[in-house]
Amino acid sequence: MSESCYHCSLPVDDTEVFSTSLAGIEREFCCFSCQTVCQTIYDSGLQGFYQRTPVGETLSPPADVPPELASYDSDEVQADYVDNLGDERTINLLIDGIHCAACVWLIEHSLAKVKGVISAEVNLTAKRLRLRWNNQNTSLSTLLQRLGKIGYSAVPFDPDTAEGALARRHRGLLYRMAFAGFAMMNLMWISIALYSGADQGEFRNWFQWIGFIIATPTLFYAGYPFLRNAILGLWRRYLTMDLPIAIGAFTTYSYSTYITVSNPVHGDVYFDTVVNFLFVILVGRYLEAISKKRALSATSRLLELQPKLATVISDKGNKIVPLRSVVIGDLILVKPGETVPVDGTVVEGQSAVDESMLTGESIPVVKTLDDKVVAGSINGEGAFTIKAVHILRNTALAKIVTLMEEAQGSKAPIQSLTDKVVPWFVLITLTLATTTFFYWHQFNFEIALLAATSVLIITCPCALGLATPMSVAVATGVGASRGILVKQGAALESLSKVSHIIFDKTGTLTQGKLRVVNIKAFTDLQPDSLLTLAASVEQYSEHSIAKAVCQAAMDKQLDLLPLTDFVSSPGEGVMATIAGKKVVVGTQAWLLKHEIKGKKNQQSYINELEQQGVSCVFIAIDGELSGLFGLMDELRDNVKTTIADLQQQNISITILSGDRESVVAAVTAELGEVTRLAEVMPKDKADVVRQLQQQGEIVAMVGDGVNDAPALIQADIGIALASGTDVSIESADIVLSHNDLQQVVQARRLASKTLHTIKQNIVLSASYNIIMVPLAMMALVSPIVAALTMPVSSLLVIGNSARIRKLFER
Amino acid sequence: MEVIYGLLPGMLLLGLVGVGIFFWAVRSGQYDDMDGAANRVLMDDEPVVDEEPEDEPTRRD
Repeated sequence: MSESCYHCSLPVDDTEVFSTSLAGIEREFCCFSCQTVCQTIYDSGLQGFYQRTPVGETLSPPADVPPELASYDSDEVQADYVDNLGDERTINLLIDGIHCAACVWLIEHSLAKVKGVISAEVNLTAKRLRLRWNNQNTSLSTLLQRLGKIGYSAVPFDPDTAEGALARRHRGLLYRMAFAGFAMMNLMWISIALYSGADQGEFRNWFQWIGFIIATPTLFYAGYPFLRNAILGLWRRYLTMDLPIAIGAFTTYSYSTYITVSNPVHGDVYFDTVVNFLFVILVGRYLEAISKKRALSATSRLLELQPKLATVISDKGNKIVPLRSVVIGDLILVKPGETVPVDGTVVEGQSAVDESMLTGESIPVVKTLDDKVVAGSINGEGAFTIKAVHILRNTALAKIVTLMEEAQGSKAPIQSLTDKVVPWFVLITLTLATTTFFYWHQFNFEIALLAATSVLIITCPCALGLATPMSVAVATGVGASRGILVKQGAALESLSKVSHIIFDKTGTLTQGKLRVVNIKAFTDLQPDSLLTLAASVEQYSEHSIAKAVCQAAMDKQLDLLPLTDFVSSPGEGVMATIAGKKVVVGTQAWLLKHEIKGKKNQQSYINELEQQGVSCVFIAIDGELSGLFGLMDELRDNVKTTIADLQQQNISITILSGDRESVVAAVTAELGEVTRLAEVMPKDKADVVRQLQQQGEIVAMVGDGVNDAPALIQADIGIALASGTDVSIESADIVLSHNDLQQVVQARRLASKTLHTIKQNIVLSASYNIIMVPLAMMALVSPIVAALTMPVSSLLVIGNSARIRKLFER
Repeated sequence: MEVIYGLLPGMLLLGLVGVGIFFWAVRSGQYDDMDGAANRVLMDDEPVVDEEPEDEPTRRD
């Protein structure tokens, strides 16, 4: 018997075992949906999926399939997404639940078996499916159903509106890089010929003209972004890194062109320098663009994954309509398991709603009459009707996404050390080149031009340009091997200067998982027998409190009892009959419903517990309150030492939470001198960060929920836990993949080492310039000397950066 | 050595054809999913299972 689920590899809960015999072998599953999905996969002969799944890859449990698939068949709904409404239709679907290439295989093969499917192509990177089918032979809902059966949920989307402009810009950069690459390779042959003697003979000018022909389009097409940014920067009176790049490339190009056209006896062309330089820098820019694109697509994906349909209740009965035709004030029915389509207030019914996507809070919240529900939260087992209050772009979820976009746009790019050096560097270089030119101009125009240009070429910021990226690249590699994923290199530099770290409480400092911390018996029953009774009743409930109670019983190795007449009410409690006794377990409201006596005497004790942040679950036997269980969300391991370590380094700590003040105080009591901010609304989290920044603090934010995302972006450094939501991970600069807070301390060590190395590199490249520039100014640098010394300085910088690797070896 | 008067433009022309092909490849979406295509090649064999599928695939491409 295996310890983990055969389908998703999550640990199997011993209180509930789902097992089935597949191909003669007994397999265990963690939940019913895993079992059904696996059964379906075997039934359709696709069990090769499990052999194809990489070892160690954990699939998540199957996604919930929205129940209203049939409405996707109507032409009215499809019109927005398919290319035409004829027999053969093509649609783009966003798929939830794709992890690895085996998933791609499973989806494609499984759909290919359905009659009427013409083609199914999955894009693994974007987690999308492009589906072409014949509407005569099958319907979209059948195909979505098929996907649902193998554990993937799909939502149609329109790729053009989703990411048109960004993708075009991204492609433009790829084209420029490819062109520069082509130019570089071809020009290399010319350069080799020229260096090896062709610059003496009859072909000299011919080679130079070929170089000119290659370099001209490269400079003006591939180098266009740099030229443009440099001019824009000058316009705004700001010296950017693009300016020395543009000046270096442009002067080198102009000088070489001058040599080519006038064809003097002496003088060399440097077209290859221009082209190589542009290519290398474009590669860097392209890599940067990829990570930015990923961050943005995760955000828009979140919105795209939202339901596209809503069930509107009207006089003529219920009607499923596309979401965009819902108006404020409409009554909308939310069925069990559905995602809430709009923000609204409950007007009828009740249910426990999972808001974890927004708040990071894993415990479902019960919503009854007049409570507010937000779009994007997932309904539990009950159904309810809501009145639409905010729709589409005005929902809380859409606002969080907007906040993120704003923060991304308004945040000044992290001023890395080189960025600060560059303006001075440019200024000095230009002054020196001009001085050189005017000094030599008194003697000879030719020499003056040659000397001034060689000053510019020598100072061409190769080593300086490498100083930061190279160190960051090595540090990123070292970090990754320790579980610290650095997404934005510049973040490493500022992390070492951080003066204030903000931790989100739920899910970050705490596990986001409840544990029984207190069992109190009010009658003469033993706590253990109380626990046995409670766990026996709770074992059939999926609720997180129920799971915590069962876990506690399992830890104590208590045997559960058989029961009859099981009743469960989502968000309230459960009851059943055990050995003739009626056992009721649940919230205060649940007890009131069943007219349980004896609660008043214990009220002060209950209040005291709740003050300490302990949530209480009550147990009553035969109508009398007999005990309670206190449950608490516990701190992660290492939290205390981490915070103590950070405080020792003179970093102030703030803990942010949406919970009540008493709860926050109780949970974080052992953490000592930290600032605690309770009842902070999601939208205010970023403001807290901003206020600290205005006081001159350099702020790092550690969080995990979608509601932390704006704050993660606003902070100078955003640090997310890998267990958090996709969006928070994408908005962070650093991700801690082992979910261990101690890594924050390690990341800081890595960061200060990196900054130190960057400083050394800048000194190295500066000293190269200090030696070479005077020589160039004296017109003593021949092209050979320049060609030899330039790589040496770059190699020194690269070698020095590689030393970061030794940081954790000691 | 006069041959290089023809060879060099020829080389450039060939290179430009290569760039053209690359642009076409990017435009037709071949670089949109780098991971999926790489793995799909390895996944396509059917080494482990030898059961009959329920019904015949109707894939036309």
